[in-house]
Amino acid sequence: MRLPLPHPGSIVAFAILALVGGSFIALVTIDGGKPTLLSIGPYLFRVLVFSLTQATLSTLLSIGFGTALALALARRRFPGRDAVLAALGTTMVIPGIVAVLAVISVYGRSGWIASGLSVLGWSSDASIFGYPGILIAHVFLNSPFVARIVLDGLSVVPAEQWRLASSLGFTPGQSFRHLDWPVLRAELPGLASLVFLLCFKSFAIVLALGGGPGRATLEVAIYEALKIDFDFGRAAWLALVQIAVCLSVTLALNRAFTRPPAALTTRLPAARTDRSHRALKRVDVGVLIIASVFIGPLLLSVLSGIAFIGAVLDRDVAVAFATSLAIATAAAAVACLLALALGAAARRARLRSRSPAVAAFYDILPNLLLAVPPFALTAGLFLMMRRFVEPAQAGFLLLPLINGLAALPFAYRSIAPRQFIAEERYGRLSQTLGLSGWSRFSIMDWPMLRRPFAAAFALSMALSFGDFGIVALFGGAELRTLPYLLYERLGAYRLDEASAIGLLILAMAFCLAHLSGRMSHAAD
Amino acid sequence: MIRKFVLAAGLLAISIGVAAAQSRPVLTVYTYGSFAGKYGPGKLIKDRFEAGCGCELTFVTAEDAGSLVGRLRLEGESTKADVVVGLDMNLAAEAKALGLFAAHQADVKNLSLPIAWSDDTFIPFDWGYLAFVYDANKLPNPPKSLKELVDSPNGPKIVLQDPRTSAPGLGFMLWMRKVYGDEAGQAWGRLKPRVVTFTKGWSEAYGLFMKGEADMVLSYTTSPAYHAVAEKKDNFKAAGFTEGHYLHVELAGMTRTTKQAALAKSFMAFVLSEPFQSAMPEGNWMMPVKDPAAGLPAAFRDLVKPSKTLLYTPEEVQQNRRTFTDEWLNATSR
Repeated sequence: MRLPLPHPGSIVAFAILALVGGSFIALVTIDGGKPTLLSIGPYLFRVLVFSLTQATLSTLLSIGFGTALALALARRRFPGRDAVLAALGTTMVIPGIVAVLAVISVYGRSGWIASGLSVLGWSSDASIFGYPGILIAHVFLNSPFVARIVLDGLSVVPAEQWRLASSLGFTPGQSFRHLDWPVLRAELPGLASLVFLLCFKSFAIVLALGGGPGRATLEVAIYEALKIDFDFGRAAWLALVQIAVCLSVTLALNRAFTRPPAALTTRLPAARTDRSHRALKRVDVGVLIIASVFIGPLLLSVLSGIAFIGAVLDRDVAVAFATSLAIATAAAAVACLLALALGAAARRARLRSRSPAVAAFYDILPNLLLAVPPFALTAGLFLMMRRFVEPAQAGFLLLPLINGLAALPFAYRSIAPRQFIAEERYGRLSQTLGLSGWSRFSIMDWPMLRRPFAAAFALSMALSFGDFGIVALFGGAELRTLPYLLYERLGAYRLDEASAIGLLILAMAFCLAHLSGRMSHAAD
Repeated sequence: MIRKFVLAAGLLAISIGVAAAQSRPVLTVYTYGSFAGKYGPGKLIKDRFEAGCGCELTFVTAEDAGSLVGRLRLEGESTKADVVVGLDMNLAAEAKALGLFAAHQADVKNLSLPIAWSDDTFIPFDWGYLAFVYDANKLPNPPKSLKELVDSPNGPKIVLQDPRTSAPGLGFMLWMRKVYGDEAGQAWGRLKPRVVTFTKGWSEAYGLFMKGEADMVLSYTTSPAYHAVAEKKDNFKAAGFTEGHYLHVELAGMTRTTKQAALAKSFMAFVLSEPFQSAMPEGNWMMPVKDPAAGLPAAFRDLVKPSKTLLYTPEEVQQNRRTFTDEWLNATSR
């Protein structure tokens, strides 16, 4: 009897679990397996409560604001809309310290708002530190990304449905309920758990804008255990607590996970019927104004580095740029291929085997990766591979791998839903035609996936481009990325040059987001 | 035909390059990022050491001192490091406990360091005192002592680093402890209302200060020298405190696992020599442990000179850090 070959998706899922599990075991056993007991004292408990609160608030605000923005952008056309869409894709990749300084430039004691008010003769003692600062930074970084993803989702609704809505004379409320809401219901749980995880882990921002050590995240304790106490076992246990919390939140959010059945479409651009509604017009204009007043100044403050661009463009920066680009390309390839395999497995489980629980497992796995502290994962992987690889080469392998894993949840969000739609639309047809294997992929899947795949590739590149997680440990004279250079300049008092490098990262992200936007918005 | 020729020539050039590189021994130096970076002293030190050693010096970098120790711990005996430059006093006990370092055998007498040096594993290569830096144009009357800073309810706002994630942050926690002893907890409680925030690292804190978010930032007595030399600004000053200042000493050590023992040893001697030491003040913005023959640069001569040096031994830090951190947490996280 021949055993059936396992699906590539299950191999990938198994490999990811093995990597994470193996690295944890490596960390826990580095001290000869002496048991590290973890007691969750009152302080850790308070940190957990605070982390949950700030992450929940940040998520609610980011999702609410991002969705409103997406709907407004879906309904309205205006000059420069493409640039706005590309700008939305850039905030995600802003390095933490750049975001902190942006918030301070606008809302700080000597920031734009304070100076504006003092010109008018008003002075205020209101401090940005604490919840306001943390929430502003998190909503600034995440809500534009939410808007981008939701907008992509809204554009998948077939044009026929909008035409039908128009001939049935749907009110805007009815269109929302029957056309937009199913998309939101499918997209938002996964997005919310993604944003929740990012905020739950966010650490440099929370410390800098929190105002006191009571406002810290679990990640601080993990960092402390790894880098100050060198207690890797404790770090691994703390990371497990973090994963447990994130898993519960993700599971709770994904309980009501359903996707609307896909429909055949003539692939015409949808003409939304609610565009001409008066009240909605006012709401949308309001949302767009609020968005530009909120996001605009923060993005503009990053542009202040432009004056120093000339001063930083040297060989170091060119090499770092090329290095970042190479790592980003490799990381994006890792992320997209893994997403493709996992998405195919999820689709198979949902549509063929009719086992939604298994499908949900594949859906949740990429998000869970975000809960693993990158430093702990890197350290663990390094311990595992040090027997086979020269330490000097480890960085070259680990950097694309870890960055790719970090981008996987984002890549998965663009790719997996389209795989699902391709199967629903053309699955039966391709079965009748007897397509299988490569020809099935290239004829049935690829035409639908080409654009989301390219979009995910560009997004993953952008994310990896701005990442400073593990270069901190494995950077080197030969392995300097742009974010690494940014911190190096900060360490040498060069704030201005750091701001210029921050701008370079942002500019690159903008180009990639623009590319990604053009890909994902074209009709399939 | 031409293409083949170019290819052959290219291959030849590469193989000659590889052969040339292999013929010279390589000394691998682990250090932190800004040391080997564009504005750090790394380039100068590489050139100066290579000029006399017939070898090649390669820097491998990690983010900071903590990452260096973390990386060494992960690599263990298989580490490629011959020399590590950039540990600090507060990590020395942990670094020593790795069992990876060899005795340095260098002569560490007659250093211009505020304390006597006797450790036989690590040698100090530069130092500075922790201090609060302020802009004299905005803060004409800074506090004159730590007690004045702690006990002025309307005093200047300060930005500090988190002692759990940052070297100067840890240093200030020890400083408070040196001055207030067992009452450090209460003192933290009185200081807390004027602490804008505790950042993850020095860069965030200094950035917030430069953006005008605080009146003073915890940094080093040598920071004003940077603004004076590189920016020609003399309004940034360090506040001298009458109780004395906490000392920050940066250390270098050679590994016991090195395959280039002779080279590593000569590098350790080089660390204390004029070519290395003269690169410290305006390269690393720290005080050298041996005064250059030409004297210190002008900007370093009129820096704050504390009347008293405050310092815990590495072993004391290792034993008490947890307790001190918990005390700090209890006093400030409410």
